[in-house]
Amino acid sequence: MNHRRQAVRGLAAALATLVALTAAGCSSKAKSGDAKETGAGGVKMGEGVTDTTITLGALTDMTGVYATLGKSVTQAQQLWVKQTNAAGGICDRKLELTVRDHGYDPQKALAAYTELEPKVVGYAQFIGSPFVAAVKQRVDGQDKGLVMPQAWSASLLGSPYIRVLGATYDVETINAVDFLVTEKGLRKGDKLGHVYFEGDYGENALKGSKYAAGQAGLTVVEQKIKPTDNDMSAQVAALKQAGVKAVLVSAGPRQAASLVGVAAATGLRVPVVGNNSAFAPQLLGTQAGPALEKMYWFASPSLPIGADTPVAKKLAADYAAAYPEDGLDNGVVAGWTAATAFGEILKKACEKGDLTREGVSKALLILNAHDPGFGMTHDFTDPKSPSSRQSVIIQPDKKAAGGMRTVREPFVSEAAKSYTF
Amino acid sequence: MSERPRIPPKAYARAAAAGLGGVVLLVLPFYLERFWLQAGLFAMAAAIGAIGINLLTGATGQLSMGHAFFLAVGAYGYCALAGDGTDGLAGLGLPGWLAAVLAVGLAGLAGGVFSPIAGRLHGAYLGIATLALIFIGQHVLFNAHDLTGGYNGRAVPPLNLLGLTFDDSELLVAQVPFGAVEKLWYLGLALLLAGVLFARGVLRGRPGRAMNAIRDHRIAAGVMGIPVARHRAAVFVLSSMYAGLAGVLLALVFQRTVPEYFGMALSLEYLAMIVIGGLGSVAGAVAGGIFVALLPQVLNRYAEALPLVSAPGTGGIAPGEAARYLYGAAVVGTVLFLPGGLARLVARTPIHRPSGETR
Repeated sequence: MNHRRQAVRGLAAALATLVALTAAGCSSKAKSGDAKETGAGGVKMGEGVTDTTITLGALTDMTGVYATLGKSVTQAQQLWVKQTNAAGGICDRKLELTVRDHGYDPQKALAAYTELEPKVVGYAQFIGSPFVAAVKQRVDGQDKGLVMPQAWSASLLGSPYIRVLGATYDVETINAVDFLVTEKGLRKGDKLGHVYFEGDYGENALKGSKYAAGQAGLTVVEQKIKPTDNDMSAQVAALKQAGVKAVLVSAGPRQAASLVGVAAATGLRVPVVGNNSAFAPQLLGTQAGPALEKMYWFASPSLPIGADTPVAKKLAADYAAAYPEDGLDNGVVAGWTAATAFGEILKKACEKGDLTREGVSKALLILNAHDPGFGMTHDFTDPKSPSSRQSVIIQPDKKAAGGMRTVREPFVSEAAKSYTF
Repeated sequence: MSERPRIPPKAYARAAAAGLGGVVLLVLPFYLERFWLQAGLFAMAAAIGAIGINLLTGATGQLSMGHAFFLAVGAYGYCALAGDGTDGLAGLGLPGWLAAVLAVGLAGLAGGVFSPIAGRLHGAYLGIATLALIFIGQHVLFNAHDLTGGYNGRAVPPLNLLGLTFDDSELLVAQVPFGAVEKLWYLGLALLLAGVLFARGVLRGRPGRAMNAIRDHRIAAGVMGIPVARHRAAVFVLSSMYAGLAGVLLALVFQRTVPEYFGMALSLEYLAMIVIGGLGSVAGAVAGGIFVALLPQVLNRYAEALPLVSAPGTGGIAPGEAARYLYGAAVVGTVLFLPGGLARLVARTPIHRPSGETR
């Protein structure tokens, strides 16, 4: 029985030592007073900030369903980091972007968020609204780092730390309906078709179209589809039978192309307007290209990458030089907008001498007119609203840079102004 | 001393090793950062789920593609039973522990409803039938808004047990702040241990022998007097309950249930776990569960440090892609070189057993 006694004694000793070590503070997790350091330049520093660097996180998707968007957004943000550092950084500190690719997998996304949380001041990018919703409780409760989701669903609004950049899908759809009414001759009593994805993108857009239709006296004819549905023949037939005078598309580029192509072929010649996710320049090379140029428009929360502003021109040129193999799309603009906004917030926080997360969230509330150079100003003072309610209407055009031409400059419709979330 | 039956020192060594391992597991929350504890909890949940499907597929030879569905029943069941309805979603407001128990029961019930089919079909045919569950499940999860919260899922109410709330409210233990993952760690360990012991009991007793007989020769088993259909149905229910328990634990770790997660890929992942770990054994299921759950997270974290990996956008292999390649290579390597699964790795080292000892 000696063996057992020895074993038990050994275990007890080991356990006691370990507990003693922890109690004595040998664990790095043990609490040792809440000391927020003050570093170079008399600036208070917290997570992700040292005397020489400011670290930002990017939770992206470069191997999953949003791979194209994730790649453009990430590369644009890396370009911004490179240029900002070349110009001397922010607050005398170099910027660093730590990228984690979660491949649109909830487990990996949560793991990546948890991993970066103690190391970054905030997230300049977080793709996947379900995952943002999943960490919302933690962000609001303890972490309190600024998160800029690359999703435009109104369900993400309301947190002081998770901030949506630009018009949400519902607001965008309201603006799109306004475009149809004022410029495409839609009148009271007309029927308006709406083809939308199941899930929060489509359903959020539907909320907007219903509200706008109620304001303008239209009736919405709903057609719900799944992201895996690629052929829109059935939907077009149903809409044609219902006698719609215009169609909204809150789906992906493929569905929009199929819808417009089939509609043109079967004689349903009505204007079709999509959300910003319902177009990709590559569509112009397909068979649906000519029909798209004739009867398709889409709403976007900022001017396209080919816009005629100095920032857009410079970004397009720099991006093409840095990533010659990759095309220019609106993901580049989205990434750039988020990164510059984050930079602006950090500058404000630096002026106040507080680069902690608390300082950043305070700086957020005084930033009321940030202009990333794409025709919009962003106002972060109200956590309950997106940073802007403006939309632009863009028409596909083979001859324009990036395949897109702006037909209506940034505007907010009356209905979108009065809309509450 | 010499009169007593001698117990070989090897057994002591093993007991000591197990004890030491146990102690290490118990003190980990004092040292590891949140990322590792969370990864460990995912691994524990995966191990519990894998034990369930290994009882069904490994030990009884019944293929199931619907495991993810039962995980979803457990996860959403817990939310619906424990939720108090303040978020506008259906909720009964039961105490957390009761909701967790009932959610496991609910998963068993769902398995029971399906068991007439599970009892009648065998092997790959059952696999095809259970495939339907995934699609039904996904449709319901995305569209039954009042129950599931739709696309963005619903928040998971924290578990309450003996006055302890498993949420992020800080609890100071020996100077170390205990948040949700630290507290859940112990719960996960306890559940995993209970799950392992129960499954062992099943496999080593009469039902286990009956299950193996059904797997190896269904007709012979029937001739010997084993009620084949009843056993198949029963093991299907048991496997669903394990899945439900894994679902509850996962929900508690995620703090939000997302329908996206409970898809076909998850079911395949569970099948991969038991193939990698070793079909038919509890240790194999646990090893496979830990392997499959941990590897992608660890690879993703350290992919940047690997050779030949370049920063995203510079043209080479991106870290995320490299992590996927390595994961695939590890799976292929395990299946190629360890055909019996990870469990054989341990079993291969000879264990000295004096004649006469039976285990």
